Amino acid sequence: MVQAQQKADQQKQLKLWLKAVGQSQDRAAFAKLFEHYVPLLRAYSLAQEPGATLVADDLAQEVMIKIWNKAASYNPSMANTNTWVFTLARNARIDALRRNGRYNTNIDADDLFENMEDEGPDPFQAAQTLMTQETINAGLAKLPKEQADVLHKVYLQGRSHQQASEELRLPLGTIKSRIRLALKKMHLLIGGQ
Amino acid sequence: MAITQHPSGDWLSGYAAGTLPLGQALCVSAHLEFCSQCRQNYSRLSQLGGELMQSLEPAPSPKLSLDELMARIDAQPKKATQDIEAYDLDLSDGSSSAVARDRIKPSGTVIPRSLRKLIPGGYQKLKWSRISPSIRSAELCRDDKGLKVELLRIKPGGASPTHTHLGDELTMILQGSFSDETGVYHTGDFMACDQSHTHTPVASLDRECICLTVTQAPIQLTGFFG
Ligand SMILES: [Zn+2]
Ligand SMILES: [Zn+2]
Repeated sequence: MVQAQQKADQQKQLKLWLKAVGQSQDRAAFAKLFEHYVPLLRAYSLAQEPGATLVADDLAQEVMIKIWNKAASYNPSMANTNTWVFTLARNARIDALRRNGRYNTNIDADDLFENMEDEGPDPFQAAQTLMTQETINAGLAKLPKEQADVLHKVYLQGRSHQQASEELRLPLGTIKSRIRLALKKMHLLIGGQ
Repeated sequence: MAITQHPSGDWLSGYAAGTLPLGQALCVSAHLEFCSQCRQNYSRLSQLGGELMQSLEPAPSPKLSLDELMARIDAQPKKATQDIEAYDLDLSDGSSSAVARDRIKPSGTVIPRSLRKLIPGGYQKLKWSRISPSIRSAELCRDDKGLKVELLRIKPGGASPTHTHLGDELTMILQGSFSDETGVYHTGDFMACDQSHTHTPVASLDRECICLTVTQAPIQLTGFFG
């Protein structure tokens, strides 16, 4: 419980810093965000490519620059700062893979994800649509290890279902059903999907 | 007609995690533009990503310095702030989800934003090739994994050949509706087929049906063209 409280306080603080960067290009606040997020962004990159420290440095810098440039468009009622930074990191990862890929496409991550967040039919529903950080973390803590492992593979290591199936030596159907079970257990999907 | 067919949690979370091939992600993205329910689910699945990232063991860099980064930021062309202004303009014309929640009315023929780069001049301007008396197709691109991203247009009442699939086949209905052995699919509906499905989609009689399809492998024809 102490830990949950710490995380909530930390999130409050991160929001204030991000707001200060967005509103007045506050460099001291940006330094705090740098301190918090750079090690996590590097860890995110290293989860996909262990040992690739240059790639990790590049991703961390690219995302920090985006944080600076886009801070004014951050909307705290749509996403907490962790979610927002995660989506920036995910998009940077997608665009880096695309640049190095065999096939050329002109579709980038912004085409795929821009404005896709939704807080529900009206602003008052945001609280019901979005979950609290505490609920998500409590849900994660209670997941069976086999389900948590698959989420880790997909979200952090960036593996496709097929790759996860090969690396975990499990049938593709098992990977997919573990994901669905985990999401169901955490009540992340509404509308019976 | 209400949207009844949504991507399942494994598709939606793969989209949120950024692990789907671009073509498949386009299909999910196009569905989200029609479907508020899935946009909300996507918001929560992104939250999950945010908290998972926080759970990683931080990996501080011995090399990255804030001063260097600030120097890079200060050296940026002034475009950065213009981006923000452009974003605001975007809001004011009503194309943002904050303003217009259901940006695409299921009865409309609006091209999803995520596809506009691939369909710059509208559906009519694409190079359509005839694949049967009632079906024409236009390839939009090959994605990063070599998946074929294409549009199909099926004449009212026209049938697609009976087929099964060698890999995943995603279909998003952009206009009209069709039915197959498993049910009726309307504008905005999302459909995922794999090796276990054999089906014969038939467009409804009232309107031409336009679908986005993303295929991993050529479909296997088991019947004849209708
Ligand atoms: Zn949906
Ligand atoms: Zn099919």
